[in-house]
Amino acid sequence: MPREAEPSLSERTFTLQAISEGLRLDSRKLDQFRPLELSFGDEYGVADVKLGKTRVLAKVSAEVTVPFSDRPFDGIFQITSELGPMVAPSFEVNRPTETEILLARLLEKTIRRSGALDTESLCLIAGQKCWSVRVDLHILSADGNLIDSSCLAVVAALRHFRRPDTSIEGETLTIYTAAEREPVPLSWLHSPFCTTFDFFGEDGEIVLVDTTWLEEQLRVGSVTFSLNKHGEICQISKLGGKPVEATLIIQCAQMALAKSKEFTDLVDARLAEDAKRRDKGGLMAELSAENER
Amino acid sequence: MASPTAELSHLPKTDGSANFAYGGYTITAAVNGPVEAQRRDENPFEALVDVNVRPAAGVGGTGERQLEAILQPALRHLIPVRNFPRCVIQVTLQVMETPENAYVNPKVMQPRLNLGIIPALLHAAILGLLTAAVPMKTVASATCLVITDADGSSVKVDPTPAEIDQARSVHVLGFTAGRDLLLAESEGSFSADEWATVLQTAEKVCCRSQEAGGDAEMGGYGAESENVQQFMRSVLEAKAAEGLHWR
Amino acid sequence: MPLDTSTYSLALLRIDGRRWNDLRRLHAQIHTQDAADGSSYLEMGHTKVMCVVTGPAEPQAGQKKGTVGSAQATGQKEGASIVVNVVVAGFSSVDRKRRGRNDRRIQEMEITIQKALAANLHTHLFPHSTITVSLHVLSQDGSLLAALINATTLAVIDAGIPMTDYITACTAGSTSSYAAGDDAADPLLDLNTQEEQELPYLTVGTLGDSDKVAVLVCESRVQVSRLEGMLVVGVDGCKQVRRLLDGIVKQKGRKMIKEGAVRRSDMMAVSLDD
Repeated sequence: MPREAEPSLSERTFTLQAISEGLRLDSRKLDQFRPLELSFGDEYGVADVKLGKTRVLAKVSAEVTVPFSDRPFDGIFQITSELGPMVAPSFEVNRPTETEILLARLLEKTIRRSGALDTESLCLIAGQKCWSVRVDLHILSADGNLIDSSCLAVVAALRHFRRPDTSIEGETLTIYTAAEREPVPLSWLHSPFCTTFDFFGEDGEIVLVDTTWLEEQLRVGSVTFSLNKHGEICQISKLGGKPVEATLIIQCAQMALAKSKEFTDLVDARLAEDAKRRDKGGLMAELSAENER
Repeated sequence: MASPTAELSHLPKTDGSANFAYGGYTITAAVNGPVEAQRRDENPFEALVDVNVRPAAGVGGTGERQLEAILQPALRHLIPVRNFPRCVIQVTLQVMETPENAYVNPKVMQPRLNLGIIPALLHAAILGLLTAAVPMKTVASATCLVITDADGSSVKVDPTPAEIDQARSVHVLGFTAGRDLLLAESEGSFSADEWATVLQTAEKVCCRSQEAGGDAEMGGYGAESENVQQFMRSVLEAKAAEGLHWR
Repeated sequence: MPLDTSTYSLALLRIDGRRWNDLRRLHAQIHTQDAADGSSYLEMGHTKVMCVVTGPAEPQAGQKKGTVGSAQATGQKEGASIVVNVVVAGFSSVDRKRRGRNDRRIQEMEITIQKALAANLHTHLFPHSTITVSLHVLSQDGSLLAALINATTLAVIDAGIPMTDYITACTAGSTSSYAAGDDAADPLLDLNTQEEQELPYLTVGTLGDSDKVAVLVCESRVQVSRLEGMLVVGVDGCKQVRRLLDGIVKQKGRKMIKEGAVRRSDMMAVSLDD
């Protein structure tokens, strides 16, 4: 498949010169994100994130399976992401690229390893039956900052998702269909969000957020922070690249915390809007099988 | 049933793209091409049409491969492949949403073939090819039909997933704009006579636009299904008008 | 699983008897393989790794373009490309878990080392060539990525590839878990496996004697306010590691001159006696 064209010399010089003067091609400030759109589908657990020309869709699904023998009390939770020819013809099916590996690792560390989803609550009968929750991340179009938008999409989709309700009487497990009982949300513990900072300039002293594809090609290094609104770092990764001052990294961490709070508010607001849209005439409250706790 | 909706050229990085939604199915198609084929699969005489169906949840399995195998020859017949030797035309079809059946809990891996999705996939692919400006001999449309025993062996167009589950046989037929049969897939048990009825119905549904006042004639079975060929024409006209707005 | 580190607050001594800012014994050898262009062996406590550098050499025909770990789309077209392979031996840790070639965790480490090197080696001096770095993990006891980075630095120096400065790395942790909000928590330097499992930690890699961070990887949950303390201790640890590595390189150099492998130059500033 054809390789992605690299930025030309004049494009490179122009963009870098502009950045060093504090200007970006799309007239944003250096620390400004592109307008972020988050929408939910008609189904539960579908989140569509648009960040400029970057667009990702996360879909959550759940089914009942047998738990892993070494973890009988835990449910199964996995996130899969694949970059196919839909993103660019240079991505081939079934051949993971560096971008894809790093994206998968980052989502795994941010969401799975940080314990955002309580996997023990997915267990139905220890060692025999558990829920397997999977998130499929579909990247429809990539124009930079895939990591931040993907993470937001996955978190939003998981929080939007409802799994079928179940009940256990003695040894019999009943799984109710959506028509029988209102599906229930997952047991969600905290919402981590990623913020990527890209470094430019001779010593990596210029910091940009939410870079486009072109800017991403020209950066000298980057660092990704994953934080939740409580100020807990879930993951930091500065994987090589130009060395930058330690003080700059501390500053970035503070900015990432502010950004993470912003993302939390955005997702909360959108989820509330969506709940309102679905809850026609307050019917849901009546139908819900869940008790007030 | 709600009328179809489509969004054209919504993905900036691909040559052509389209989002097609109808009957609960939402499909995004991305088309790249004609681009140079890799040495190992290039054909010196014609272009390769590479169809890639990706499910909404889970990794693609045998069911998806079979869908690809059904769609690939159909699309190959619509594109003048001999005009682009040593090239590849890549069609990626991403399933975004499938209709929900509230009475059955969804399974992630569905090893069986889902015939009901074929019309939506085909329409999305054609819209994608058109926006990618890939030359085409003709356009086509397809429809899904079921024969149910519920009320004395009747043919029903555009069934819901629940109806597909209960049907005696499921059929998918596609016709080109020139009323030629492009693809036909059937599942279940049915007689030759029944198939003839299905063929006739499908042809009426797919090629209705040619007949003036076709709607009146359709009466019973086809009234609820939209004419997709006419729909595709109208969205493309709207898109072209928008593109030429500056003139 | 979780072991009790609560005794730390009583004696301010860690499980293995170290203070908070003590490094483990760092032992390293340079030029261990005669056949290789550059090689090294490094021990940080019980973490033992070996590194072999081949190149800069002509790219082999078998090496596919765009494989994982090679420098691609990073503007490296005119310079040498760097390929890093990490092999973790099955006997390296307590549980003999087989890790395939496609283990994402190892692939991520490969990419990290490759990118850190790409920014610090003068690859533009060797156009159209490849530098292959092969790392073998013989024994694991915490701070694995740090040990790999340090071993790579030594091997690259042995191979004589020009670079800006040493890249040295070590880990830093915090005695407080994320749940507790106490401010009295001490930062810790150079964690072993037991401590890594129990405490939040990060791996930091710096360039030379500066405070510039080339690699920073944190995989555990920790309060953002603790980051600064951990980072400061980590950067300081890197400087200690650099001093140790520098000593090893100079010692080897002296030995080579004494043995007559390298002619002593009049320009040489280093006195052989100290």
